[in-house]
Amino acid sequence: MDSPQEPLSQILQSWNVNPPPDSGFRAAVWQRIGRRSRESWPVYLREHAAAWVLVAVLMIGAAAYTGNSTARARVRADRESLAVTYLVDLDPRVQATLRP
Amino acid sequence: MKYLLATLGIVLAAAAATGFVCYRLSCEPALHAAAKKGDAMEWLRTDFHLDDRQFAAIRELHDRYSGDCDEHCRRIQEASRLKKALVAGGADRAAVEEADRRMKELREICETAIARHVRQVAAIMSPGEGRRYLAIVLPKIANFDHMAAPDLNLSHTP
Repeated sequence: MDSPQEPLSQILQSWNVNPPPDSGFRAAVWQRIGRRSRESWPVYLREHAAAWVLVAVLMIGAAAYTGNSTARARVRADRESLAVTYLVDLDPRVQATLRP
Repeated sequence: MKYLLATLGIVLAAAAATGFVCYRLSCEPALHAAAKKGDAMEWLRTDFHLDDRQFAAIRELHDRYSGDCDEHCRRIQEASRLKKALVAGGADRAAVEEADRRMKELREICETAIARHVRQVAAIMSPGEGRRYLAIVLPKIANFDHMAAPDLNLSHTP
């Protein structure tokens, strides 16, 4: 950028990047690949324990609530229907309208 | 990715199993069986935890009451027929009002008789169950539509 008049292509052609050689780069890449391939399920779970515990607690809690409330709703409906059946049999006012 | 899917599968399976167990624990299979059969006496026996002696006493009370119920039913039908005949025959207003009054009186007698009967039934049950039984049936008796069979929600008002 010393001379603004110099064309950009010339600047790019003259631009050289010479990074210092990293002797451990290749070894580090292989090490990461090796670690990934050796990763087991327990290792995965340990690494993501907090997230999975949260997911499990939420899902199991929701399932327990749903199961419980579904059963209670069914019990309520059964009880309601039986109470009506019972009282229809007992109530002459209703019987008078049902009988011929 | 495969560990994520496997873990998710296990969590889902555990949640489904938990939901099923909670459902079964909160279910009342005997009550459901009675509802499917429409067996009200079985409902009393299972839902209010009657022993054999209590159940026999309540059954006997019901058998005795059913005679009264038939008699009340017959009287209401007679009164209803009379009122219809009066209206159809163009009877005077006083006669129709008298028939209405008679119908109302009969319904009140019936309501009192049912309430007395259910209180006798409750007295045979253990105190807690008796209270629960009355809490279920008494409001329904009061809300029963006098002119039509009730629906399941008993939403009619007298």
